[in-house]
Amino acid sequence: MIKSRFCKQCGTKITGDGSVCPKCNSALPELVIPDAGKKANQIFILGLLSILLSFVPVVGIVLAALCFFFSNKELKLVSSAGKARTGRKLAGIGLALSIFGTIYVFLLLSVGNIPLWALNTGNKIAKWAVGIPADFENNFITDSRYNYIVKGLGITFEVTVFAALLGVVLGVVVALIRSSYDTLKDEMRSGFGNWLLTLLNKICGIYLTVIRGTPVVVQLMIAYFVIFVASNNKVLVAVLAFGINSGAYVAEIIRGGIASVDKGQFEAGRSLGFGYVRTMAFIIIPQAFKTVLPSLANEFIVLIKETSVSGYIGLQELTKGGDIIRSRTYSAFMPLLAVAAIYLIIVMFFSKLVSILERRLKNSER
Amino acid sequence: MNADNQVIISVKDLKKYYNGEEIKALDGITTDIKKGEVVVIIGPSGSGKSTFLRSLNLLERPTSGTITFEGEDITAPSTDINMLRQNMGMVFQHFNLFPHLTILRNMTIAPIKLHGLPKEVAEKKALSLLARVGLEDRANAYPSQLSGGQKQRIAIVRALAMDPEVMLFDEPTSALDPEMVGEVLDVMKNLAKAGMTMVCVTHEMGFAREVGTRVIFMDCGKIVEENTPEQIFLNPQNDRLKAFLQKVL
Repeated sequence: MIKSRFCKQCGTKITGDGSVCPKCNSALPELVIPDAGKKANQIFILGLLSILLSFVPVVGIVLAALCFFFSNKELKLVSSAGKARTGRKLAGIGLALSIFGTIYVFLLLSVGNIPLWALNTGNKIAKWAVGIPADFENNFITDSRYNYIVKGLGITFEVTVFAALLGVVLGVVVALIRSSYDTLKDEMRSGFGNWLLTLLNKICGIYLTVIRGTPVVVQLMIAYFVIFVASNNKVLVAVLAFGINSGAYVAEIIRGGIASVDKGQFEAGRSLGFGYVRTMAFIIIPQAFKTVLPSLANEFIVLIKETSVSGYIGLQELTKGGDIIRSRTYSAFMPLLAVAAIYLIIVMFFSKLVSILERRLKNSER
Repeated sequence: MNADNQVIISVKDLKKYYNGEEIKALDGITTDIKKGEVVVIIGPSGSGKSTFLRSLNLLERPTSGTITFEGEDITAPSTDINMLRQNMGMVFQHFNLFPHLTILRNMTIAPIKLHGLPKEVAEKKALSLLARVGLEDRANAYPSQLSGGQKQRIAIVRALAMDPEVMLFDEPTSALDPEMVGEVLDVMKNLAKAGMTMVCVTHEMGFAREVGTRVIFMDCGKIVEENTPEQIFLNPQNDRLKAFLQKVL
């Protein structure tokens, strides 16, 4: 299939299938096909256009179809160009939007003159579809109601970020106490240090059992209505409640990571003369960190979604913001779907980040 | 034999029990290790060889008995265990190189952090050690890029980078492909020739015979027979040792 390729180091054209560049003698990078980038760009732009023009009836559909037609031919040739694939994906979205847009415009045009056959079923859909702009305005524009969403999103981020920080700090401390207890209890002489470590370990054990054994909503309400009943700072209470909750899960993640490092690593560190703390710091933690990082990022994603229950203490974060709009306008569709979409986008963004991170960490092993 | 007869490690009535007194891994070991000696410990599996070796640098805490290292009782609670271990290099069966660090970092992290050597000096030293085992070109590789024999050679020079008084080897060739055993044994032979005090648990009888100055045969947590290699291999006294040698030779 591949006719010719280029060395990425010196630009020499390579004929034949050697693995080393004859001119600069460097290892050859992945295969590059001339003009592949240009063609991929064209497909990408075509896909993008089909999205942008999807509101124009027929045009969007045609563009998307063209994009599919061309990319089908190019994809076989451009085996390594991801951009063409992305373009194809965009065209897929464009096609869906175009079809929807075409139907929508058709309905808009026929609204004054709805044929009889459509009255029973189509009428409702048509009315709903026609009402969308007004609904949108009513839910988000009137009285600047979008502010509930924007400010709510801000508070969601505020609570999540600080709770995550608190959770990581708590989790690391608890995990270190618990894994130190596991490895050191035999080694330590009986005395104050041993007694203290045992006590701390017990406290951590109780903390983990209680926090992981009760729902986060209940913990949040206990924090606000029982423990910090005197405080009116809802954000702070939410940060504390979610942070303490998250800390328990983070602690178990980190402890698992530390336990997953081969015991021989610990012995090798100690046999060189490193003490317990330095062995942990230089040898165990850096290795545990790699295995733990994806799970930690996932815990962060869970935390973002968990903060949606803050409405129970009247904190106006994203979910509550959407709910307030619903209670004002008596229309649930727009605000709730908007809230859901925002959560989805945030989570997808972070999931993507996590998968990139995972790949990077895997590569650094080699 | 080495002219210097100074005792460097003295072990007296060393015992290690698990589960109360149920399992006696070490049951009263008494021996002296002199400077420059190459002591080879052989015996069937489960005889307590590794436990004995690991109690020498207190990776295993003995139940009772004393170990004296350079005149100091290291089983006493006041001992600085980390200081002790800086003077006793240890090589493991499974290498235990640090996979997240390059070979050079593996070898320099302890001298830099514990001896306070400047980075350049530690690296220069590490490179000359690497040259001794013929691996100076792999300084910037990661452990996962090396073969088993190379890993074990690195593990040996990592311990040597700390300039230990004694080297402890815990079955250093048991996890290796047969064709890689030779390269590791060569490094150990050179080390012995250079006068390093070595205590070595191994199943390589050839090595014991050729390099060892003394062979200890252990069974059931006890030293059954202890003699020069010639006497152990050519003129064994104990029946258990005779049976063992018949099987392995």
